[in-house]
Amino acid sequence: MRVKILTVDDSKTVRIIVRKAFKTFDCDVLEAQNGVEGLAMAAKDTPDIILLDITMPVMDGVEMLTKLKSDPNLKGIPVIMLTAEAGRENVMKIAKIGVRDYIVKPFKEEVLVDKVSRIVDLRPAGDSAPAQKKIDDPIDVLIVEDKPAIIQQIKQGLEHTQWDINGVSSTGEAIDYCQNKVPDCLIVSLSLPSDAAITLYRIVRSNAKTKYLPMFGMSVKTESEEQRRAQQAGFSTIITKPIDFEELEAKIAKAVNLDASGRYFDLSDGFMTVKLPSKCSNTSVNELSAYFKTKTCEAVDNGISNVIFDTQEVEQLNLEVVRLLLQSMRVCNELSLKYALAGSPKIIEESRKFEESKDWEFSESIELARESL
Amino acid sequence: MQQTIPISDIELEALATRAVGSVYSMMLNEDASQITTTRIDETTGPGGAPSLSLQPSETLIAGSVGFIGKIRGVLYIFMGLSLAEKITGGLLGLDASDLEREENETVNDAIGELTNIIAGAFKTDLNNNGCDCRMTIPSILRGSNYSIESTESALRRTFKIDCDGDTFVIDIIMEEEL
Repeated sequence: MRVKILTVDDSKTVRIIVRKAFKTFDCDVLEAQNGVEGLAMAAKDTPDIILLDITMPVMDGVEMLTKLKSDPNLKGIPVIMLTAEAGRENVMKIAKIGVRDYIVKPFKEEVLVDKVSRIVDLRPAGDSAPAQKKIDDPIDVLIVEDKPAIIQQIKQGLEHTQWDINGVSSTGEAIDYCQNKVPDCLIVSLSLPSDAAITLYRIVRSNAKTKYLPMFGMSVKTESEEQRRAQQAGFSTIITKPIDFEELEAKIAKAVNLDASGRYFDLSDGFMTVKLPSKCSNTSVNELSAYFKTKTCEAVDNGISNVIFDTQEVEQLNLEVVRLLLQSMRVCNELSLKYALAGSPKIIEESRKFEESKDWEFSESIELARESL
Repeated sequence: MQQTIPISDIELEALATRAVGSVYSMMLNEDASQITTTRIDETTGPGGAPSLSLQPSETLIAGSVGFIGKIRGVLYIFMGLSLAEKITGGLLGLDASDLEREENETVNDAIGELTNIIAGAFKTDLNNNGCDCRMTIPSILRGSNYSIESTESALRRTFKIDCDGDTFVIDIIMEEEL
């Protein structure tokens, strides 16, 4: 739901500055020129937060605040005072009536956004319905690591993707980077000195622009104490070294909400082809499985009723793959879809070893599998 | 009888530099270290608007905010229209073509707010020195070839501010409430 911010200020300039400060966020900025208008708008629109000037004609900010706090329906609306008067007495007076915060003019727009974002949940504009990126879209991944060799290793490990992988060696550089351009994903080494990763996590989470930025901690597999502290601080995903790049890629894709289905599914010429990857790890099997129902429904919606399971590139047919195929075949049966398997002689041979797959019939190419339907 | 106020001229000059500096750096993203403040008195030149040496044809804008309390008076900021438009553009993120479409009201409001912010800093210092006072809402004077005169009993301090080629004047007229 869009956040509603009410700015009450007799200065059109301040109201424009407030509007400008929040234009990149998913919010509506309502404007009132004095306390009387402000109270009326507060009652009518129930804003999530009010930014209130003090010195105004008709009804000043202190009077408006007093009336607001004595109205049972409005007293819960948080108020930040925006004032040109910084005196201690002045601040004490408004604090007694009940304000959440105050900002002395002049102020930086970032400070205003930061203070508001501590009270209401500000989200970047367009976040409510973001266009989903695809797995081969050029996303921006930032690595914060003081060992250049690790940054290089990650770049190499992910070089088959279209992703833009950048590395910085300190949290300061990372903050500067994020101020210029918010990356799609941030990976920070947990071994940076002085708990810098945890400090960076807190800074990133307290900034409205980066509040929801996916952030991974990175640590040597055996450093369990370091990982535990990072998880306590709020890191929900930890990447362990030595890095499993397939797992890293899948975790980034999931965190950034990338549509990775293109890697496994092709809907064309009246067929849905499900291509199993060469290394069918748990990660890729789970990923493929998660997409299967959605893609099958999409196929049905497009008038496709034939499915080919292409296992030709699979290096080894393990029980996970067999289970995946069984589950997928069941979905096909439920939807009355015809299906066929394509596989290499090695895979055909391996399929005979499992009770569940010993009777499966494979074609040796996709074309032959299509013809069999 | 000439008035005295609880802020020395040196403090007042430093306050003017600080207040303008914070507006320039925080709201206009300009380098505040470039700011120089010069006190204008009878020996160094004419006070108030005349010290700007504007062309007679250029519109002079004066923003003013009054303060009432133990000390009462008015703080004026004088500048030429071109600088007023530049500051307005900086504050509101508007370029020259946007500003052309705006009415005088927009520039008046921005300079009113600038005056309000600088007067707010001045008022805070007065309060901290035991002189409680309240500020009035800002107002704007527009015209050419005019000046503000003060009564003989009032204390007047005028500072010319230069910031990277921009010049404006802060003129403070005040007296102690009897």
